[in-house]
Amino acid sequence: MKQFSLKRLLGAAAIAGSLAFASGAATEAKAEGGTFVWGISSEMSILDPHVACGWLTTNAIHSIFEGLVMLDLSDPNAKNASLKPAIAESWTVNDDGTVYTFAIRENVRFHDGTSVDADVVKWNYDRFMDTGAEHAFDQAQAYLGYYTRWIKSVEVTGPMTVKITLNETNYEWLQMGVVACGMPMIASPTAIQAMGNEQFALTPVGTGPFKFVEREQNIKLVMDRNEDYWGENAKIERLIFQPLPDQATRLNAIRAGEVSMIMEAPWEELENLKNEGFTVTTNENIPSIWLLFFNHKNPIMQDVRVRKAINMAIDRDAIADGILKGTGRPEMGMLSPGTYAYKPGYAPIKYDPEGAKALLAEAGYPDGLELDFDIYEYGYNEVWEKSIQRDLKKVGINAKLNKIEWITYMGKWLQGMPPELQMNEIGWGWTIPFWTQVMTRCDYHPPNGFNVGWYCNPEVDKLFDEAVKQKDKAKAAALYQQANDIIIGQDFGYAVKFTYKNPLVLSPSVKHFVNPPANWYDFSIIELE
Amino acid sequence: MLRFITGRLVLTIPVLFGVSIIVFLLAHLAPGDVTTILAGPFATEVVKEKLRISFGLDQSLPVQYIKWLSHILQGDFGTSIANRRDVADLVFPKFVNTAILALSSAALAYIIGFFAGIFAAARPYSFSDRIVMGVTLMLGNAPPYWLGLLIVLLVSLNWRLLPATGMTNIMGDGGAWDVFLHLIQPMLTTAAAPACIVARIVRASMLEVLSQNYVRVARAKGMRRRTILHRHALRNALPPIITVCGLQLGYLLGGVLFVEVIFAWPGIGNQLWQAIQARDIPTIQGATLVIALAFVVVNLAVDVINAYLDPKIRASEKAGAT
Repeated sequence: MKQFSLKRLLGAAAIAGSLAFASGAATEAKAEGGTFVWGISSEMSILDPHVACGWLTTNAIHSIFEGLVMLDLSDPNAKNASLKPAIAESWTVNDDGTVYTFAIRENVRFHDGTSVDADVVKWNYDRFMDTGAEHAFDQAQAYLGYYTRWIKSVEVTGPMTVKITLNETNYEWLQMGVVACGMPMIASPTAIQAMGNEQFALTPVGTGPFKFVEREQNIKLVMDRNEDYWGENAKIERLIFQPLPDQATRLNAIRAGEVSMIMEAPWEELENLKNEGFTVTTNENIPSIWLLFFNHKNPIMQDVRVRKAINMAIDRDAIADGILKGTGRPEMGMLSPGTYAYKPGYAPIKYDPEGAKALLAEAGYPDGLELDFDIYEYGYNEVWEKSIQRDLKKVGINAKLNKIEWITYMGKWLQGMPPELQMNEIGWGWTIPFWTQVMTRCDYHPPNGFNVGWYCNPEVDKLFDEAVKQKDKAKAAALYQQANDIIIGQDFGYAVKFTYKNPLVLSPSVKHFVNPPANWYDFSIIELE
Repeated sequence: MLRFITGRLVLTIPVLFGVSIIVFLLAHLAPGDVTTILAGPFATEVVKEKLRISFGLDQSLPVQYIKWLSHILQGDFGTSIANRRDVADLVFPKFVNTAILALSSAALAYIIGFFAGIFAAARPYSFSDRIVMGVTLMLGNAPPYWLGLLIVLLVSLNWRLLPATGMTNIMGDGGAWDVFLHLIQPMLTTAAAPACIVARIVRASMLEVLSQNYVRVARAKGMRRRTILHRHALRNALPPIITVCGLQLGYLLGGVLFVEVIFAWPGIGNQLWQAIQARDIPTIQGATLVIALAFVVVNLAVDVINAYLDPKIRASEKAGAT
């Protein structure tokens, strides 16, 4: 790192010497402590897995809790994260894929010392799906509806065996339990009964490799290694998440050696950080895409030529390379990377502003047109939305950006687009392609799902229905890709912009961190030098 | 004097009442439905409605206001919607953190501003006056965000003298010395603007008093400049200075958001900002009310100090009352 020449002058001052001593002592303590501090970009939600949402919160949830199965996040080269046994030591699936029988692992203990068995698993499932259960939690049932809507019954068939029967075949269902919004993790019934739902969300008790220690809102969440973990113990002793909402503050914190890792560093600083000795890790297969929804109830957007013209007008390379400095990759398909159905390089059209103009003229807009475009105020999206606004201007489309504060935006987004609005946006994804169904199916129009632009093509839905019934992932992937080719290649129902490679900056002392094809990490495998 | 204080205390009641109405309405009239976040994206309207009922959001605004106010009067600030904690537990520790930063910054600003102002006033329009005023003007107008980053760049990143973020070492056990080390940089950043304002008001006020006839008489009698400044000028120059100092402290207690964000200082401004982002109405109300209360208390203290220093204020109050 650069040294400032005035250092010598100041070093002479006695008081400065004493302060430097004190500051140095703190750094020394860190090296010995085995504490990993992650500077995160915003505060997390509450920590009850059944009612928690968001990628950051999921990082904490996946450290403290486990489900029947978990994602294996230890392979940086995996194209997509696969399932691994967790509370369930093994499982079998019947021939038609409707009955899952889980063998519960022996000797799994919660952080409060109580044991896990089949009854505990059932108790948890009752909490988030049985409306008649004494401990039913309606918020949990709302959160986990996407997962439980497939379940017909949950039965305890032995002290350590649970059988879950589905309503219909869906080979993606099991992995639905490890997405980041309402997670069917196994929580301690003893703790929930003793504390109640509200308090449990503040002092969570799970079986994971880290146990909750304390949380000071907007200051830190502290977790310690679970010494009684059933598997291999975590390498680090303590894991701390520190909310540092400002980019510059996060940069200062890692450069000053106060945190071990930061997220969302300024893209233009990544090269400098590498040169300063920090590790910048990215992953090409992060399961999320940033996309524009078109309103298929709006007369202008009902014309496929307009939708195609917008797709042709967006300079995705300019966003990926110019704005995101190579931490993004242009994408056009509705199948996100990090899923088994992803098709790299899918691009049914090319960037062609002249072609877009011609298409608009053909559609009856030779003098251009005006569009209303809702965008949210959160993160850095406005930078690329303005780039898209400029791209559209070049082909004669005057897009009016309606910038809306995040919560208001989400409220409006979830209701589906009103007829007068032409476009809105989101960035999201799961580790399974079922996410594409949630975004595009006719029966996932709000309030039943997130198809907020009201796209509907029954032919696509038929392909989806077939895809989830395929035990062979290659066959399922082919069906998904066929559907994708209709949604984008034929209907241009959406405008997908890019995928993000999720750059993370690590202090040189961090070893074996894996930036996996997921939006959360396995902190148990990290080592500190 | 007691009568004056009582009069001022009585006047704070309608002020606080007005503040409570504004705080309540501002939080409630903002668009957006918190149940969208609370119940998750798949929630049915039934679940959302149950949540609204559990937080009392289904009732009319006047009913909600009366209930909220009666709870506040009993010391119950409610439960944070986003964090499920008592609002008092969230807001008061953060206010204490802000108070530590605000009071230390204010003290530093007063000391610098006071001496710089007196120094400049004693040598009006001289070279040293212009230098002192020029420097305070520059520092006072430096955006806190920029100034804070510059200080961190030098002190923490280049010289490695002080910690860059937080209020204590996140891996340590804290302690007063640790807090002090973390306090220095945000305190310097925060103190810059008020120090400049105080310096300028001290200078202006002193110059005005020094141009009065009684000061000329004192000079003509051959009194030393120091005696004139300390014994005759200063007390008469103080009321506007105290008023400005009080206002500055009030602003600082409201949370110096930029400084809290840059240094990750866990203060009330930061907490309020997070609560606004999460549409956490009880926390927004609690934090805003505490800030408003601090402002009112500081202003009350300023009025009392001014009345003590200046008998004319007490007299005019008395005349106004009769």
